[in-house]
Amino acid sequence: MSVKTLLIGLDGATFSVLDPLMEQGAMPFLKSFFAQGTRAGLRTIVPPLTPPAWTSLMTGRRPGQHGVFDFFRMDSPESRHIRFFNSNDVQCDTTWSLASAGGLRTTTLNFPAMFPPPRISGYVVPGWVPWKQLRLACWPEGLFEKLKAIPGFNQRELAMDIKLEEKATEGISDHAAELGPWIDLHARREQNLTHVLKHLTEEDPSDLTSVLFDGVDKLQHLCWRYLRPEDDKPLTEDWEFQLRELSLRYFRCLDVLLKQLCDMAGPQADVIIASDHGFGPTYDVLHINTWLERHGYLAWSEAAQSRDTQGALLGVGQVAKHTWLMDWNKTKAFATTPTSNGIYIVVSDGTTPGVPASEYQAFRQRLVDDLRQIKDLQTGQQMVTEIYTREEAFPGPHSSVAPDLTLILRDGGLVSILPSPDEVSKRPVVSGSHRPVGVFGARGPGIKRGFAAGELSILDVAPTVLYSLGLPVPAELEGRVPEEIYLDGVVKEKPVRRAAAAAGSQAMEQAAVSTEVEDEETVLERLRELGYIE
Amino acid sequence: MKSRRQEILEYLLQKMEELTQDWDYADPVRPESLLFTELGFESLDAVVLCTAIQEHYLTPMPFAELLSDIGREQRDLSIDELADFVDRHLGAPAKAMAATRRAQ
Repeated sequence: MSVKTLLIGLDGATFSVLDPLMEQGAMPFLKSFFAQGTRAGLRTIVPPLTPPAWTSLMTGRRPGQHGVFDFFRMDSPESRHIRFFNSNDVQCDTTWSLASAGGLRTTTLNFPAMFPPPRISGYVVPGWVPWKQLRLACWPEGLFEKLKAIPGFNQRELAMDIKLEEKATEGISDHAAELGPWIDLHARREQNLTHVLKHLTEEDPSDLTSVLFDGVDKLQHLCWRYLRPEDDKPLTEDWEFQLRELSLRYFRCLDVLLKQLCDMAGPQADVIIASDHGFGPTYDVLHINTWLERHGYLAWSEAAQSRDTQGALLGVGQVAKHTWLMDWNKTKAFATTPTSNGIYIVVSDGTTPGVPASEYQAFRQRLVDDLRQIKDLQTGQQMVTEIYTREEAFPGPHSSVAPDLTLILRDGGLVSILPSPDEVSKRPVVSGSHRPVGVFGARGPGIKRGFAAGELSILDVAPTVLYSLGLPVPAELEGRVPEEIYLDGVVKEKPVRRAAAAAGSQAMEQAAVSTEVEDEETVLERLRELGYIE
Repeated sequence: MKSRRQEILEYLLQKMEELTQDWDYADPVRPESLLFTELGFESLDAVVLCTAIQEHYLTPMPFAELLSDIGREQRDLSIDELADFVDRHLGAPAKAMAATRRAQ
């Protein structure tokens, strides 16, 4: 067996960073890759955020259909408790499950929403799993021991170190002292992933081989100033130039790894490179819960006013801090996470505090109108440029646990959810933040060379991967196979096959397996809830 | 015959022993071992362990509430307490998850 399709994810990759790097000679392989294949912008979903966006790329479905909206998720529509997202939240088939069902083997490294690992045919090393827990996360059983036996395997530098991840979102205060080793760590992490993937492929190749390099996203968050100094004041200090050099070194290293992986796949394989969203500079911070509090929508608890809210013990409280930071007798709207720019509205059931259901629409509209009035104090510019209601952003069967409103800020930035003296503040230095258009590239025997395909949708990637594997594209997938990227005659000779809707195969299988431990009525109730039976 | 509570504790201790051997953690893992201050857990370590426990017992448990309480009270959690929590929220006799989970 050989690799039919190689899918390389570059988290957050954007042409505004890659194009200059290719022009400057820092990424010669990527430049040749695009010259020998097709490139396009890749428009992502709302919100442009890692868990929902990669899940959309894997499933070809929008968040309201697949069920992943953020890094965190409400336990239920009525609950105020949130939990970290996991693979059980993915409520439809993925590219990996469809390939597996089609009799193909897949290897997938470092993709989010893969823990607990799906029991596919092949190998799974999930992303977003802390290094200490990696043993629990690998599939099949015995894979972790196999990984440990690989010479040079470094568990700590392969999986996630949450303290380091927090730096990407909360920032590093002392760039000169801390940022250099942090950048180098991410280069080593990508090398580890490549090393593992090459080892597994040489020993036991998969038809669909996939890896996600997420250092791109991390570096762009913290090192935007050094990657694109033209977006802020010029670099002047020696240590700033050193950090720029280290940042460029990461991308040079990545370029070498991309070449190694493409060489591993061979000339007969289709290689697809995709990112989950784009990136750009961000200068502002909107302290959304402070704004909500000052406009009468939210009330802080006594604990919020009397305690150090920045440093809850052991970091545990960070996961669910909002549950005790807010006075739930008075709070009507709140944001729970700093990642999705989502606002939830507390709806009363008639006995609990909150907005009466009959007043929900009017309340939400008033909140939208007020949010549109947030202005930059210096320029008077509108801070919130787009506001999506739940129905607009997340149509589908799982929208009930999605935020009621999703904000897009003028510079694509993220909100802060903690109490603050200011409603709006400026970042001390420019940071990177997510943008709606990422990157797509494809190279293979049937794919046009040197072709610019304009803009594709992230929903098109799953159909394209399935087509590359020779599998039918299920009717419920919301994207399409971009036939324009193929050489003349290719699609005519090998037409795109559409398959009937899969009737929720994943959820049905999940329910079927559960009969071992649940009584029949429980399973029937679950199927009713899922809408498969009445 | 072992009680369910004892089986749960043994399962948790076994899992922690397996995990700690990958960390070069020298001390024995005991029921009193504290997840955060002794075993060095971060919040996401706890989340992943809790998810794995739910998978093992095929039973959803209110771990989000547990972690929220720990954060609010600024306290730690021992393996013994975790076993109590799991035992309290297992409605039926504990049944380990079969290896035949769905082919996602």
